[in-house]
Amino acid sequence: MKSIHLLAVLLSLAIAAGASARTIELLNVSYDPTRELYEEFNVAFAKYWKAKTGDDVTIKQSHGGSGKQARSVIDGLPADVVTLALAADIDAIVTHARLINPDWQHHFRQNSSPYTSTIVFLVRKGNPRKIKDWDDLVKPGVSVITPNPKTSGGARWNFLAAWAYARKHTGGEEGARKFVAELFQNVPVLDSGARGSTTTFVQRGIGDVLLAWENEAFLALKEFGNDKFEIIVPSLSILAEPPVAVVDKVAKKKGTTAVASAYLEYLYSDEGQDIAGKNVYRPISPAAQAKYASTFPKLDLVTIDRDFGGWTKAQATYFADDGVFDQIYLKK
Amino acid sequence: MRNSTIHRIAPVLTALLALSPAIKADEPSPTGDRLSALEQKILVIERNQELKEESAAAAAKSVPKISITDRGFALTSADGANSIKLRGLAQLDSRVFFGDNGASPNAFVLRRARIIAEGTFAKNFSFQLVPEFGGNSVSILDANLGVAINPALGFKIGKLKSPVGLELLQSDSWTFFNERSIVTNLVPNRDLGIQAGGSVLNGILNYSAGVFGGVPDGGSSNNSDFDNEKDFVGRVYATPFKNDSDSPLAGFSLGVSASFGREKTAAGLTGGYKTDGQQTFFKYASTTISDGQSWRISPQLDYRHGPFGLIGEYVVSTVNVRPGATGVKAGLQNKAWQVATGYVLTGENSSYNGVVPKSNFDPVNGTWGAFEITARYANLKIDDDAFPLYASAATNADEASSIGFGLNWYLAKAVAFKFDYYQTRFGFAPGAPAVSNSPSLRQNEKALITRFQVSF
Repeated sequence: MKSIHLLAVLLSLAIAAGASARTIELLNVSYDPTRELYEEFNVAFAKYWKAKTGDDVTIKQSHGGSGKQARSVIDGLPADVVTLALAADIDAIVTHARLINPDWQHHFRQNSSPYTSTIVFLVRKGNPRKIKDWDDLVKPGVSVITPNPKTSGGARWNFLAAWAYARKHTGGEEGARKFVAELFQNVPVLDSGARGSTTTFVQRGIGDVLLAWENEAFLALKEFGNDKFEIIVPSLSILAEPPVAVVDKVAKKKGTTAVASAYLEYLYSDEGQDIAGKNVYRPISPAAQAKYASTFPKLDLVTIDRDFGGWTKAQATYFADDGVFDQIYLKK
Repeated sequence: MRNSTIHRIAPVLTALLALSPAIKADEPSPTGDRLSALEQKILVIERNQELKEESAAAAAKSVPKISITDRGFALTSADGANSIKLRGLAQLDSRVFFGDNGASPNAFVLRRARIIAEGTFAKNFSFQLVPEFGGNSVSILDANLGVAINPALGFKIGKLKSPVGLELLQSDSWTFFNERSIVTNLVPNRDLGIQAGGSVLNGILNYSAGVFGGVPDGGSSNNSDFDNEKDFVGRVYATPFKNDSDSPLAGFSLGVSASFGREKTAAGLTGGYKTDGQQTFFKYASTTISDGQSWRISPQLDYRHGPFGLIGEYVVSTVNVRPGATGVKAGLQNKAWQVATGYVLTGENSSYNGVVPKSNFDPVNGTWGAFEITARYANLKIDDDAFPLYASAATNADEASSIGFGLNWYLAKAVAFKFDYYQTRFGFAPGAPAVSNSPSLRQNEKALITRFQVSF
């Protein structure tokens, strides 16, 4: 029996030795347009973490429509952190999988939103349809490209921005409903995420206007040229606050809680904020805001909390099954 | 698949566009607008079809996979981390003995009948459960749990094959002959224990090392340890030219295995060494007990090159015995070796994991499966000191030499007929009677064993 005990000790040592040599690996499950942002940020964080702790950390990225990504995490995708398009998608993970602490929004500053963005229009060069504002989108024959609000966070921001504009100009919810219904009459393709919609508009040549994340619109200009597209800033849009959270139970199980928290905290650092600004996300630190002030046009922005009663209410009202979007779109 | 309508419309549209030289981008015309609208409609149809296909492909990725092949039935989770697989093995033998005046029974035998359940959980954990319904009783053949750390280190815990004999470690389905050679009499079979193993140097070197309860030569654990002692077992096995696929030595492997332990009581001794025809030719006296160190060592090699295959192994097995509780103790050393070879006449590759026919048996289409011819020579020599104190010279042989020839017909990967002829010559210890008291040892054993096998 002594030999068995000796062997058990040796096996434990072997396993422990293997464990200590393991590279720390994080999985960041994010929404569609953040690929370039996190590619740059991950390199910076790995360098920072190596200098601070001596440990190597590699971060894997997963991207897709924000709602779809949340569903994947609920279904078992082992994300250490989620960096999604809107709080409702993180709330869905809290509610349906209980993988994240319910008070996640207080874990990091600014309601755990280290950067913000908004929704703008991308049109073809010369703006052949003369699109200037939201009411141009409901004109007959105008083809509007936006993703599916059931799967895409960006699409929900698009929907609410249009709703807010219509409510302001028609004076009420009924007018807004009619306006948004007319707008979706002009949507010929519903991609599952923002990057897919960009592909539809930019690469497949479909549609007259793309409702886009601000950074996505700038990226299209950068990649495909100012001679092909131009950005139109509407008179009113919405302040999009993409939030981040540690997936507590997964990180705890994988032993990555500390590094996952540090990873998200680093988004608030000078370097993190600078990378956000460089990738056309609106930074929240005054220094980075000042540095990138000329990048971001000033416009009237409604907010989810003030104008829609927060994401929980907005989600239930507009995007839940049989909610307003279903009523509008299924009618189509 | 894109909508075929699109493909019909697209060339027409292209032609119309080409035939409209008067239309300029900065001069909109009703015709140009209509063409643009038509083009947009086609693009929208195409894109929606593309999204539908992407969505279907994504949905397929999240659906568990069901696989039904000639290697078994498998259910695998969408991410591949969890699976359960059911396989089976059935072997029906016909044994016919010649010239022994009925000493050995001519019989049909259900040699093996197994349902093999295997699975993986959370990618790194696996299990294997193999009940045996063949033979005279139902038993648990294998029942073990695997833990994979990385390719270089993994563990198996439970009941499994002790890693000593080369041919013993090969699947029952794919040995050259229906019955393993008499060499296998000297190595342990299934045992309870824990084994570490892995593959290093780019897969060139495989190793196994474990602690087992200890079983006698040719024996398997009956699911509990028969004494307080343990056996240490190890094996290293190299395929040095494995990664040089052009080398004629790419399929050459060699290795050595060994076991060391202490055994006590009669349960530490072999239940009997058997011939190719499965007749017992040596057994210790019932009063003899095992008492002391036992060890085995076995150099071994395997060579495969195209349709040609060859294996060779040598085993020395040493056991300390007493004629009773207080008799004189002696260390006995039994030795055996074999060389077996096969050649696949139909050109398929010879393999440690079985021959896969290029075409299955299908007379309507004129295909007949694969055919392999085999030959083997093996010898087992009992220590002369075993007689007469520890075993009777009158009822046992002290040496068996066997030659065998076979024809294997693989109708499909899962179905085979195997025809083997064995002839075994016996030697006897000094002092043995001129005619053995054991009827089956009075003449050379001549056996024809025909097997029908289903293995998936």
